[in-house]
Amino acid sequence: MTAAVPAMRVRDVSRTYRDGSRTVTAVQGTSIDIPEGKFVTIVGPSACGKSTLLNLFCGLDRPDAGTIETPADGEGPLLGRVGYMPQQDLLMPWRDVTGNAAVGLECLGVAPAAARAQATAHMARFGLGGFEHSYPGQLSGGMKQRVAMLRTFLCGRKINMLDEPFGKLDALTRASMQAWLLDYWQENRCTILFVTHDIDEALFLSDVVHLMSPRPGRIVLSLEVDLPRPRRYDDVVTSVAFNALKARLLDQLGRAA
Amino acid sequence: MRAGIWPPVILGAAILAAWEAYVRLAHIDSLLLPPPSSVARFLVENAGIFARNGLNTLSELLVGFVAGVIVGLGLGILMQLWRWFRAAAYPWLVATQMVPIAAVAPILVLWFGFTLTPKAVTVALMCFFPVAVSTVDGLGAVNPELLRLLHSLGASPWRVMKMASFPSALPRIFSGVRVAMALSVVGAVVGEWVGSTHGLGYLMLQYENRGETSGLFATVAVLTAMGIILFFLVGWVEHLVLPWRRYAKETL
Repeated sequence: MTAAVPAMRVRDVSRTYRDGSRTVTAVQGTSIDIPEGKFVTIVGPSACGKSTLLNLFCGLDRPDAGTIETPADGEGPLLGRVGYMPQQDLLMPWRDVTGNAAVGLECLGVAPAAARAQATAHMARFGLGGFEHSYPGQLSGGMKQRVAMLRTFLCGRKINMLDEPFGKLDALTRASMQAWLLDYWQENRCTILFVTHDIDEALFLSDVVHLMSPRPGRIVLSLEVDLPRPRRYDDVVTSVAFNALKARLLDQLGRAA
Repeated sequence: MRAGIWPPVILGAAILAAWEAYVRLAHIDSLLLPPPSSVARFLVENAGIFARNGLNTLSELLVGFVAGVIVGLGLGILMQLWRWFRAAAYPWLVATQMVPIAAVAPILVLWFGFTLTPKAVTVALMCFFPVAVSTVDGLGAVNPELLRLLHSLGASPWRVMKMASFPSALPRIFSGVRVAMALSVVGAVVGEWVGSTHGLGYLMLQYENRGETSGLFATVAVLTAMGIILFFLVGWVEHLVLPWRRYAKETL
């Protein structure tokens, strides 16, 4: 049996940039395969080059060395091929919820009215029913993140990168958003590349977890998370298998520090 | 503004009352300082004259204001899109504001005669600058992360301008427009002083020459009222155009 074609194939990617007089190697010799339809997470401490890596993956930046390909999605430039949800929600305060969700589609050339109609159709599934015409200033933190997520997913990319989407939420909202995201992903089966510095979150959500080292960023450990799905938070985080995986990650982190 | 209309009305009435009392009790010559009551009487008795001339000034002012705002917006957008132009033009735009407008106005009369044009041009010369500066500042202040997001979605520079830069700059642009509106009253009057046959500025010169101090004060009152109404009209338009500002705690 041959391995399935990965959604994204990253080979020996390095990126160095100048910061004043010194050169900073943000990412060095990184290789990852992101299988199609899988939930893949990159975990790492702050300033480990995660943001640099994401910029490379979505084509906003180019590597100094190495290649990034999307074999399942054909050849060509990366820019516009990968859905990207940045850390900040970046909702436009002058657009209502529907208008914000439609931003991505409009950038793809969909007419504003049609884009709004498509966004409206998904409001209920994203827990935004009844808030279609609210402005971002009227929403809670969790709802803002759901609008940003809808904006990302509506573009219909094969790969969606989510950069610490729940980082600023309180613990309860965070837990319900994680459960919601898993549900949504199981229904739609897009490829998700998730970034977080929270090990519990990474293990609970993912099929594969890659651990990055501090600068220069490299993948130092890759773990298959073979916990059964659908997962329930309470059951998962108390299970022996979960804690064994967590111990391996923590051990590796301790060694890197 | 939400505090209501009463505080300024009460303060204004108190000042007028004190003024009236001072003039009467100290027997001030009404040629030097007329009491508010005689200014008011003059205003009512000559309402037709003030309405006609006020309308003249208002039309000059509005033509100049609209032209100034359009030019200011255009220059601001151009300076934001084209760095070289910004570097080249910015010092010269500042220079235009250093030339005293009272010195330029006679030249404009020389060129355009006793028509509406020199007054409108005077107003526009004063208006365009705050709008241009606030447009450049506003367009440059967009969240760079938002720009990156739009680039990752493959948006063209024009779409980025339309979708993100311009709307996010609008509150700042409106601040510039409000300043421009306040300046335009001054511009129109200066334009009329140097050469006109009607308008509130012309009226002021007439009353001054005839020693009708009440008329002079009445004209100033009309001008002030016009300026205040126009200023708040701009605020009202801003409120209509930017409904989201009521909810935005932070600018993006």
